[in-house]
Amino acid sequence: MEEDRLSETFAALANSTRRAILARLAQGEANVSELAEPFDLSLPAISKHIKVLERAGLVVRGQRAQFRPCTIDAAPLEEISTWAEQYRPVWEARFDRMDDYIQQLKQQRKT
Amino acid sequence: MADDNGSQNAVVIERTLDAPADLIWRMWTDPEHFKAWYGPDGATIPVADMDVSVGGTRLVCMEMETPNGTMQMWFTGEYREVVEHKRLVYTESMSDENGNVLSPSEMGMPEGHPTTTEIIVELEHVGGRTKMVMTHAGVPADSPGAAGWEMALDKLAARVASQG
Repeated sequence: MEEDRLSETFAALANSTRRAILARLAQGEANVSELAEPFDLSLPAISKHIKVLERAGLVVRGQRAQFRPCTIDAAPLEEISTWAEQYRPVWEARFDRMDDYIQQLKQQRKT
Repeated sequence: MADDNGSQNAVVIERTLDAPADLIWRMWTDPEHFKAWYGPDGATIPVADMDVSVGGTRLVCMEMETPNGTMQMWFTGEYREVVEHKRLVYTESMSDENGNVLSPSEMGMPEGHPTTTEIIVELEHVGGRTKMVMTHAGVPADSPGAAGWEMALDKLAARVASQG
């Protein structure tokens, strides 16, 4: 995945209010005032957090003018959290060593 | 690279190595060769028991020196397909030294790591060199995803916090 997008996802998650907003949205869509309820924050402050989540692609806002309910998009999370992608550098390093080792064997054969 | 956004639960790596397929095959199936490249830097492989035949088992030990002493990790598995110099399929699970399977999360493996994974190695001779395609995939029954993203979120949050 693109490095920038990864940073953006991490940055969006590095805030407890935003994580709480996502946890709330995991249970279903909600509008801004519903999302603000559990927090001691103004609506504009909550809106700001939602914008950060939107930019990171974690939240999608509906088009209905009055409510514009927020829903969650978990795709960026799945992308970071697959164990397989975390394993890629391990295998790449192994195959670098395999390559080196093969070269060593060839050198030994020559001498 | 090609697979980054495709199948989410597998890592696929393709390499072309400057050696004939039979030598690459031995890299995977001959314990002495396997020990030379498999371990991460700073680790050794004191044990690599491999019964390379369909249904045969494998037991591999990785040993690392840490500030708290020597740490050992054991992996067990079974060979599923053995087509000499062409295709090797085996499973892998974390285990104890007797090959009893352990849960990956308890062993500190990456979040969502399935209990059993499968490694597929495909070799193809290409003009004196060998194209190797390695696929490391979760075994479907145990694969993550069903756990839902909410759990992933909690784990990610913890990870972000620990990096902060």
